[in-house]
Amino acid sequence: MRYAWKEITYEKRKYILIELLLILLMFMVLFLTGLASGLGRDVSSAIDTMDADQFIVDESAEKLITVSAVETGLLDKLRSDGFEAAPLDIQRMHIARPGSSEKLDITYFAIEPGSFAEPEVTEGSPLSESGAGHPILLDDNFKAEGISVGDKVVDPASGYEFTVAGFVKDRMYCHSSVGYISGDCYTELRLAYNPMYQTEYHAIAVKGDKAPDIDTEKYEAVSKHDIIQKIPSYTAEQMTVTMIVWVLVIVSAVIIGIFNYIMTLHKRRQFGVMKAIGLSSAELAGMVICEVCIISVFAGAVSLALTFGMAAGMPEKMPFFLEVPNALIVTAAFIAISVLSSLISVVNISRIDPMIAIGGGDNE
Amino acid sequence: MSEILLELKDICKSYPDGSEKRVILDNVSLSVQAGEFAAVVGPSGSGKSTLLSVAGLLLSPDSGSILIAGKDVTGVSKKERTHIRRRQIGFVFQNHNLIPFLKTEDQLAFVQDKSLKDKIRTDDLLRELGIEKCRRQYPSKMSGGERQRAAIARAFVNDPDIIFADEPTASLDAERGRAVAEMIRAEVKRRGKAAVMVTHDTRILDLTDKVYRIENSRLVTER
Ligand SMILES: Nc1ncnc2c1ncn2[C@@H]1O[C@H](COP(=O)(O)OP(=O)(O)OP(=O)(O)O)[C@@H](O)[C@H]1O
Ligand SMILES: [Mg+2]
Repeated sequence: MRYAWKEITYEKRKYILIELLLILLMFMVLFLTGLASGLGRDVSSAIDTMDADQFIVDESAEKLITVSAVETGLLDKLRSDGFEAAPLDIQRMHIARPGSSEKLDITYFAIEPGSFAEPEVTEGSPLSESGAGHPILLDDNFKAEGISVGDKVVDPASGYEFTVAGFVKDRMYCHSSVGYISGDCYTELRLAYNPMYQTEYHAIAVKGDKAPDIDTEKYEAVSKHDIIQKIPSYTAEQMTVTMIVWVLVIVSAVIIGIFNYIMTLHKRRQFGVMKAIGLSSAELAGMVICEVCIISVFAGAVSLALTFGMAAGMPEKMPFFLEVPNALIVTAAFIAISVLSSLISVVNISRIDPMIAIGGGDNE
Repeated sequence: MSEILLELKDICKSYPDGSEKRVILDNVSLSVQAGEFAAVVGPSGSGKSTLLSVAGLLLSPDSGSILIAGKDVTGVSKKERTHIRRRQIGFVFQNHNLIPFLKTEDQLAFVQDKSLKDKIRTDDLLRELGIEKCRRQYPSKMSGGERQRAAIARAFVNDPDIIFADEPTASLDAERGRAVAEMIRAEVKRRGKAAVMVTHDTRILDLTDKVYRIENSRLVTER
């Protein structure tokens, strides 16, 4: 450890350069990790944060809530079976401020007010306690559009009007901000489009992992995890970004390995001398591994600090969310792969013949 | 009669040369006592470095045996050989071969066997070799003579039985070369070590106790 550090400080310039390169790469890796979770949350946070463990959807919906249809009677049955259950409809539409032609994307989550499917408000009041007619709870992204509690918003096509009862935090579905409305409002809204609309639910959210007694010919109980995986674009996006992250992690670690290997080749004679004067291959390997550890731990720590520092100053709308465990896993993997890649150097050193120390100095 | 610290018995070593075998050392025997400073001379390519490498356990002989401080170490494992080189053998090379990123005191600490710390003190060595002022200097900041003396200090730091020096004065001018050879002699005498020095410089042979010459793969006593 001591000697590895001495070597690094002796050849500062070389090591600072490689550190800079690694910090840049690792910073990119961590940034992308944050982006991956951010994008993931953009797609799934409204489901992910819901206090439910499974969802009943119709069997032919292939776990996609938005195309499923569940009879209203099933909710009563589940409740009488002792389950905590809540209905859920998900509908992507537009809203606008009254008199404005600018349409904003929204995904309605139609729920039963007061059920566990209703999120906590960060501002304003919950649906059931709001005195206003047709209350709606909006994701706080809408605040950036200049909407505040008490404002009216309308469905532009039908003219159906909501009053903003409050705001909720981090509720997104499929890259669209969510608005929570009551099932009754939802039915009225649908009737405005289609007078034949019959009330049914897209899905029923259920608490607990106990398998509900349902007609498996018609319905399917799907875990929250599986529901999220099936949200359109979720898996594809996560896979792409995650792949880039890991390719970068491996590239950074291999760069350390190659750098280290080139250094070893340059120092063949020095290692030969060390062996000749009685240092064992194990001691030399220890030095090399120690050096790689120092380089990679340092690069990891600095880029972690940089990334978290930057995350703090990031604009609200940016889909960036760095989870500490994720960041640590990526960094630890980077360090581990770096150390693994330095084993090439270790093998190389163990093959050096101490004989090269004797005689002239030209056989570097 | 002093203790014999190095004994080579009937060492043979040859290198393959095409389909032939080229004999470099042919039944070479040599013994060096405590406090004795021996020199090996001979033309270039005669096998002086090869002899030193065999005696210094860097190269295995084809036949014959090597005894260090009375113990036969001919067939020991690679790991044991490394250990013996560290504990019982000190090397001084033609180029100082110091570690570039270590200051003189760290050069010594780097190879020093920790259990020996009190036996040979770095301070004493540096003082005896006249390089106390280089204690905290990197090799790149030292003169050629100082580097070679630092290398000598490193060779002595583990209180070895034998010192092997391969042309330790070759990179220095006559005056400094002689000074370095004198230092080796002084340390060998003071500490009762055996030393074998390969050299081309006939002007320093008067500092040695015995001179051997390699001729036609054989070792002959010249003086
Ligand atoms: N690994 C090897 N393979 C084949 N031949 C070798 C090898 N090492 C040395 N030799 C040969 O052995 C002979 C003796 O080499 P050695 O280095 O011992 O000579 P030397 O007496 O030290 O010469 P110099 O005074 O030039 O240093 C040389 O002719 C050399 O070509
Ligand atoms: Mg030689």
